[in-house]
Amino acid sequence: MVETNGAAYLSVEGLHKSFDTLDVIKGVSFSGQEHEVISLLGASGSGKSTILRCINLLEIPTRGTIRIDGEKLPLKQREHGMAISDQKALSAIRARLGMVFQQFNLWVHMTVLENVIEGPIQVLGIPKDEAIAKAEALLDRVGIAHKKDAYPSQLSGGQQQRVAIARTLAMDPKILLFDEPTSALDPEMVGEVLSVMKDLAAEGRTMVVVTHEMAFAREVSDKVIFLHQGKIAEEGTPDQVFGAPQTAECQQFLAKVL
Amino acid sequence: MYQDFKYLISDGVCAIASPVSGDLFTKFCPRFIDGFVVTIELLALSSTLGFLLAVGLVLARMSGHRVLSIPANVFVYCFRGTPLLVQLWIIYFGIGSFGAEGLGPLWAFFKEPWLVGLLVLTLNTSAYVSEILRGGLVNVDKGQAEAAMAIGMSWFQSMRRILLPQAIRIAWPAYGNELVLLMKGSALISTITVLDLMGQTRTIFARNFDLTTYLYATVLYLVLAGLITLFVVAIERRFARNLR
Ligand SMILES: Nc1ncnc2c1ncn2[C@@H]1O[C@H](COP(=O)(O)OP(=O)(O)OP(=O)(O)O)[C@@H](O)[C@H]1O
Ligand SMILES: [Mg+2]
Repeated sequence: MVETNGAAYLSVEGLHKSFDTLDVIKGVSFSGQEHEVISLLGASGSGKSTILRCINLLEIPTRGTIRIDGEKLPLKQREHGMAISDQKALSAIRARLGMVFQQFNLWVHMTVLENVIEGPIQVLGIPKDEAIAKAEALLDRVGIAHKKDAYPSQLSGGQQQRVAIARTLAMDPKILLFDEPTSALDPEMVGEVLSVMKDLAAEGRTMVVVTHEMAFAREVSDKVIFLHQGKIAEEGTPDQVFGAPQTAECQQFLAKVL
Repeated sequence: MYQDFKYLISDGVCAIASPVSGDLFTKFCPRFIDGFVVTIELLALSSTLGFLLAVGLVLARMSGHRVLSIPANVFVYCFRGTPLLVQLWIIYFGIGSFGAEGLGPLWAFFKEPWLVGLLVLTLNTSAYVSEILRGGLVNVDKGQAEAAMAIGMSWFQSMRRILLPQAIRIAWPAYGNELVLLMKGSALISTITVLDLMGQTRTIFARNFDLTTYLYATVLYLVLAGLITLFVVAIERRFARNLR
């Protein structure tokens, strides 16, 4: 199963994804090193979420190869597109990829603490008291420790998203995937979530972030990828992409959002 | 032990009820209470077993494996699509007609009306409850399942830990309704000679031909409906705390 591929920690090669006849991702390749932050930018519908969801196989790619720390995602080619070839391996890989959603997706029937210990106990098989100790430390880190017995519906959006980040961190993920983590938040709560994410970047987490927060992308990213209609139109350091965009699409996009 | 407990309850209720109720009730009180208790026992057992079976059925139906989903769907279709009375008679009189020679060791089961009644009520309610749970499942927000998958849960784990618990909360009012329907439907088992509340009522009526007999049965069924409603509302309150 394990195939090494240079030093890339995350590599996406020739990724294609179609929904029925609609081609959404049309051959995307990129890679990232450990401790790097990659930002995915692009207009609505350009395929940012789809790429992120292909990386942890919430969507099954139509074609392409994805490797996490050298390990290939368990996919096999079928007549039409691909299929998951190994459920166990899939679970194991997903457990090592943290995903933070735009809508938080905290489990509504569980308290904050229960949300954070669920994965470690059920998926990683960590003893309950250990999981609780760790969860409490993580909740403390994101500033929600005092709400650990509250239910998600009793929290603000910003608080829910910080809990969702703690839930993801509790799994000790190799790579964190963020899909517009602040887009569903009231403006006054965006800052609290971004500051948690900045801390994570600063401590050397490997992250792939889909965001419309340009200032954040510019400040935190090691690499910025601009997508246009399912293809990478521009790729480079934040200074390159924000400072001197080469393509007309990227220039127009930045003119609109900056 | 349990038997003594039932006698105690029966004596107590009858002692309290007789001064405030009519002669007929006083005379037949132990029989009414006996039938009432049989109905409660059957309801408690069939609703519990039926619920567990319903969870299995809905898992089979949603599994995406045809060898599981097709039989489960056929089962649900048959039990929801035919009258409870027909199910009771086919299984009790129909299967029972094969007798000891035809059924072998199974005869011990099928000759007991109480057991057959329990079986049919359980199968019948499980079909309805599996449909109620399925309705709850499709109404769980998709993001809940995605978060479960993203964290590495298997399909079964996400069902057990995330989706079914939420589906039960969503479907609870509909489930409460099914409990009341089950209670009313249970009266039909008196047609296979079970002495539940309805069975006792019929034997009491056969002795005196006094129509107030049915009035007392009505009151007892209403008491039962009240108890079920109290139970359903109490659980609903617990759920309300944590569902958006
Ligand atoms: N499950 C699906 N079925 C059909 N089409 C889909 C599905 N998911 C996404 N699409 C389509 O794929 C395209 C890319 O969607 P995607 O969500 O990846 O865009 P995005 O860049 O994340 O946009 P946004 O900024 O609005 O979130 C869109 O045209 C969308 O309608
Ligand atoms: Mg998106």
